[in-house]
Amino acid sequence: MSAAETDDRAESIRMIRDSAAAVAPRGGDLKRVRDLRWQDPGFDAGLFRQMGEMGWIGLRVPEALGGAGLGVAEMCGLAEELGAGLVPEPLIPCALSAQLLAACGGKGRLPALLAGDAVVLTAWQERADTLEVPGSPDAPRRFLPMAAGADVFLLPLREGGRLALYELPAERCAPAVERTQDGGNLGTLQPNLQDATKLADDVGTALADALDEAALVTAAYLLGGMERAFAMTLDYLKTRQQFGKIIGTFQALQHRAADVRMQVALTRASIDSAAAALDAGAAGDARRAAVSRAKARAAEASLRVTRECIQLHGGIGYTDDYDAGLYLRKAMVLANQYGSASLHRRRFMAASPEVEE
Amino acid sequence: MDAIRIPPPAELDALEDEHFRQVVRAFLHANYPEDLRNPPKRLHWAENKGWYLRLAEAGWLCPGWPKENGGLGLSPAKQIILTEEYERHGVARTNDHGIVMLGPLVIKYGTEEQKQRFLPKILTGEHIWCQGYSEPGAGSDLAALRTEAVLDGDHYVVNGQKIWTTLAMDANWIFLLVRTDKAAKKQEGISFLLVDMQTPGITVRPIINLEMHDEFCEVFFDNVRVPKENLVGQLNKGWDMAKALLGFERIFLGSPRQSAYALSRLKILAERMGVWEEPAFQDRYARLRLDLEDLKALYGTYVDRLKRGESLGPDVSMLKILQTELFQAITDAMLEIAGENAGLMEPMEGNRDLNIGGLYIQARPATIYGGSNEIQRNILSKNVLGMPG
Ligand SMILES: Cc1cc2nc3c(=O)[nH]c(=O)nc-3n(C[C@H](O)[C@H](O)[C@H](O)COP(=O)(O)OP(=O)(O)OC[C@H]3O[C@@H](n4cnc5c(N)ncnc54)[C@H](O)[C@@H]3O)c2cc1C
Repeated sequence: MSAAETDDRAESIRMIRDSAAAVAPRGGDLKRVRDLRWQDPGFDAGLFRQMGEMGWIGLRVPEALGGAGLGVAEMCGLAEELGAGLVPEPLIPCALSAQLLAACGGKGRLPALLAGDAVVLTAWQERADTLEVPGSPDAPRRFLPMAAGADVFLLPLREGGRLALYELPAERCAPAVERTQDGGNLGTLQPNLQDATKLADDVGTALADALDEAALVTAAYLLGGMERAFAMTLDYLKTRQQFGKIIGTFQALQHRAADVRMQVALTRASIDSAAAALDAGAAGDARRAAVSRAKARAAEASLRVTRECIQLHGGIGYTDDYDAGLYLRKAMVLANQYGSASLHRRRFMAASPEVEE
Repeated sequence: MDAIRIPPPAELDALEDEHFRQVVRAFLHANYPEDLRNPPKRLHWAENKGWYLRLAEAGWLCPGWPKENGGLGLSPAKQIILTEEYERHGVARTNDHGIVMLGPLVIKYGTEEQKQRFLPKILTGEHIWCQGYSEPGAGSDLAALRTEAVLDGDHYVVNGQKIWTTLAMDANWIFLLVRTDKAAKKQEGISFLLVDMQTPGITVRPIINLEMHDEFCEVFFDNVRVPKENLVGQLNKGWDMAKALLGFERIFLGSPRQSAYALSRLKILAERMGVWEEPAFQDRYARLRLDLEDLKALYGTYVDRLKRGESLGPDVSMLKILQTELFQAITDAMLEIAGENAGLMEPMEGNRDLNIGGLYIQARPATIYGGSNEIQRNILSKNVLGMPG
């Protein structure tokens, strides 16, 4: 990239980040997020529509199909801002569905999804902690994020050697819903093939690519969350007094904060380099290795950082009223979504041959 | 199996240890409500009252108290066996602040009149106590507490605020550390005061914790008049008395049973998730298991010291640190292997004991309460290792 192109790119990412303030104002409180917790469907449909109007659901969809045609780095920048504000609307799983529908030429409910009028979830997962898509005809599809608010499901089905894609209206197959620690929900869907309409014959590659991206974007969301939780903790360390001193003057705590800062820095470096690799067209093993490295880091770091944030606050960190706990709960839910740290470490090793010195 | 006879309470302390253990097991089998085993959250009075009163009726409520005060008079070693068996059986904690904290303090420092007045009511379950030490500005630095008690005729007038008071909403009495001399050095102006929570001027406001449970509270005191005779021990000597109780608390917080329970859950979860056989998991599990075994061995050395009648030094802080951090490491491992189940609010379907997120959250405050682990490390480095400063 030329210097001018690099500047343009940075500007584009900055603009996207700024636009996120419409939904997750920087420095704003989390009242909206709190009010939505454990209230079906767990998010605000009106705000999801607003996300559509802002072009976020189709951020990665080509312009020719009604999307914004922007890069992975823009999507990660956006997710990071939303993560900082703990925005619960199901942008990541819906963007995945949009990419899948775009890959089959803009079929099905793509326009409604891009407009934020329909929540379209891809029912690909058949067991916990996997990125594999068996496409079994009768296996329940598990762990569908925010399934309580779904309008349409996309169902990948193995046909011969390929993964075909079907569409299922949610009103014909209501998922069983379980509440999650962050105030949202996960659904289990028993696919009902009688009501399914076929959209495409072969979406295997497109789905694998979209899952990769969802994993990376989830890492970025976690990064935004851990940074905000850490900022809150730093503020506290700099104001809370015990023993007649600001607790941030205790060297034991200073070192802990320095350790957290390093985890945040590593996570950011990992995500930024992965996003750049994907935008530069990395494919196959290189792509998988970049994504897995970032998600493994973000999953582990987000849990560790949010735990530290609670500990460094003392008793107040253990109250629901205080926001640090909201970040802990979000990390509990997202750390393992689209693959746990351990899954991604294995995947990284499989995809990335050791470098000979 | 031969039915084990449960001897009268007064005979329990004379039993040989292993026999005593069998008696405790038999007692729990016969008396403990099945639906209260391993509850996912700390129970409220309304939930554990039945069990508390059953213990009271059997005379088993206060294992550590001397017999003449209505306790079982058990040695520290036997108390530990009892605790181990309670934990093994999944016995829930009761509203036990009167039993484990206030009672022993009154027995040691109270007047005869105070003993007559307060101990029997703990033994019948009439008085349920909570512990009012911490304040918004006085947590780790407890001696900075500001809730004050000013003498006015026959009464102390209490003003101020306590916080993190566990189960204050269930309690009808609270024991307080209050400031009675503002001019003295901060540890030397603190007294120990017993307060009836029905007294006008007290407001209790529950706080929801990260388990989404109303377990601790804020307690406000606005010109609360407390009879003078409710002061325990000498005026301005409350700090020393409260500190004397802490060593005993720490060995209980260092009991490996909490970690042992979590490790058993980790194994079940690993089998369920299909990772049990994986070498990487086996290695991680082995490490946690060895940490537990070694903690048990270390804990055993402290128990032996108690058995020999020795008192424990500040190094007992090690147990608290090691136990609570092991408990956390185990729940971290559970979260990491659970996949998307890690984020669920409720236990995993099919096993009400597999409450992954719940256990992970529950393990967090263990390193905060009872003297945070940072404070315990300060104690170790200064009072045990003799570090300067
Ligand atoms: C679940 C729970 C139940 C509780 N129940 C009760 C109860 O029933 N009654 C009661 O009176 N209290 C209770 N407490 C309060 C508990 O004792 C305090 O939370 C604890 O003492 C810490 O105080 P704090 O919360 O004010 O944190 P702070 O003291 O403000 O500590 C904040 C952070 O700074 C660290 N820190 C502080 N000083 C130092 C130092 N010198 N060096 C290094 N690090 C330091 C701490 O370790 C912590 O990480 C409970 C707390 C919890 C979490």
